[in-house]
Amino acid sequence: MAEVKTVRRRYGKTLIGVLIVSAYLFPVYWMIATSLKTNGDVFTIPPEIFPSPLVFGSYVESVLHSPPVIRSLVNSMVIATGTLVLTLVLGAPAAYGLARLRLRFTVLLTLVLLLAQMLPTINLALPLFVIFSGVGLVDTYLGLILANTALALPFAIIILRPFFLTVPGELMDAARVDGCGRFGAFARIALPLVRPGLVTVGALAFVTAWGEFVFGLTLATSEQMQPVTVALNRFIGQYGTRWADLMAVATVAALPITLIFAGLQRFIVNGITTGATKE
Amino acid sequence: MSTRTHTVAQQNTEQAPSPESLPGRSRARASRFRDYMFVLPAVAFITLLMIYPLGYNLNLSLHDTNLGNFLTGSSPFVGLQNYAEAFGESEFWHSLGISFVYTGGSIAFSFVVGFALALFFDKTFPGSGTMRAVLLLAYVFPSVVSGTVWRWMLQGEGGIINSVLQRLGFLREPVFWLIQGDTALMSVIVTTVWVTTPFVMILLLAGLQGISPSIYEAVQLDGANAWQRFRYVTLPLVRPVALTVLLLSFIFTFKTFDNVFVMTRGGPGDATNIMPIYAYDLAFTFFRFSDGAVATTVLIVISVVMSLAYFWASRREEAA
Repeated sequence: MAEVKTVRRRYGKTLIGVLIVSAYLFPVYWMIATSLKTNGDVFTIPPEIFPSPLVFGSYVESVLHSPPVIRSLVNSMVIATGTLVLTLVLGAPAAYGLARLRLRFTVLLTLVLLLAQMLPTINLALPLFVIFSGVGLVDTYLGLILANTALALPFAIIILRPFFLTVPGELMDAARVDGCGRFGAFARIALPLVRPGLVTVGALAFVTAWGEFVFGLTLATSEQMQPVTVALNRFIGQYGTRWADLMAVATVAALPITLIFAGLQRFIVNGITTGATKE
Repeated sequence: MSTRTHTVAQQNTEQAPSPESLPGRSRARASRFRDYMFVLPAVAFITLLMIYPLGYNLNLSLHDTNLGNFLTGSSPFVGLQNYAEAFGESEFWHSLGISFVYTGGSIAFSFVVGFALALFFDKTFPGSGTMRAVLLLAYVFPSVVSGTVWRWMLQGEGGIINSVLQRLGFLREPVFWLIQGDTALMSVIVTTVWVTTPFVMILLLAGLQGISPSIYEAVQLDGANAWQRFRYVTLPLVRPVALTVLLLSFIFTFKTFDNVFVMTRGGPGDATNIMPIYAYDLAFTFFRFSDGAVATTVLIVISVVMSLAYFWASRREEAA
């Protein structure tokens, strides 16, 4: 009897938990539900909580058949992928160096990295705009990738460093004795061992760059180069009361992030807590 | 869940100094140089794309750079005149004040809600780990998307929030939340709380899980009830973590731009014109780059001071 009671209490908690999570994430549901109505039906009183019938018109007209939306999605994909690659290329060796080697400025660099994460983005966007104007990087993919990497690189190094610390030093020494060389030991021995760290950092760099707004708003001056976040903000004014269309664009803009989050949840949750707090 | 084990000082000692084993100074130096090659690209990148721009920004704030002269680079040096002018403008103080109200309100509510959620999800029950993680979706979501969705939910006409509040009898007439100053500020705070609370919850959970179950067992044997256990065990033991969490959420909320910009663009009027939006407008709407640089310099000073406070608090927490 006592067991049954405990089980019931445990699942009672689960039920309450499910209710809390559902209520909390209602805005996400409401975004999707609105996107599946017609632009007129979103104003019915009382609002339809479960849209019926499901209408996919907004996705067809305002996403698939809208060149500016498609273009902005492509832009975001290029910028986020570029940021991911550049962050790993710069961040992995740096984290390895800071973990493995005796470098004089480790403490200083770590402090700089931590402070860098706490900067308001506008603090970089303003001078970067002026500097990039002088060297032709405004309104280019490269400029946007460089700026986004500046946001991602600090947490990449902070998250990756502890992973490299777990690689046994003897292993690295053995690899070097076997003629691997310094870089070979890093690339062939250490990198494969820290794959979970690389996945975490890659996912976070992509997610951050995909959702980034301030650089997109300031450094992409033409609509042709704007990421989907900036496009979405522009549509708020353009679409007026076509909320179903706007929610369809918002849903598509959030889709890659949601998929990555669903697939790599464990990595992302760990990365968020480590990146923000570990010193 | 990550445990917070490293401090800046500790990291230094992690690299145990090994005796110099390489023969000859030049070989040692060459090998040293190769060691630095791993870190050099990242350091060069950070220097070029963060440190240099921040220095540039400071320099910008001491010149008079505007649309007319920013490409020619021939802007006159004016010293601290821009600062004097900014400090004399009521808009500056207004946006600084709004920033503090917005940040203070947001972190207070997200702390209370986040703490309640952390207490609930601290218990292990089937699915608790997954649920905690799923809540973080609100934090990972692109903030422009969150801002857009909340903007829709808060619409005076067709907004779900009005419907619910009217149905529950809290409102008689629909409220145009984002069109009136005081409700607009409330609205952006609510949205920010929604975004940051899961993050606060996860950080507080780490603190709660650091409390040894044996302490609870001991006081339970002494006959402490649930409230007493919370009041005399949980609260005091979670307090050092709470301080660092509050400081950290201050730092991250103070620099918010996206969802406020998307929801109100600083308006109506200047009711939600937080400092980052004020700086953005100066530089990118009015092309007064130097005045924008003054505002961002003030932002960075506050951020750095709070960050140093955070480092200090988290080291004290480690020591405790």
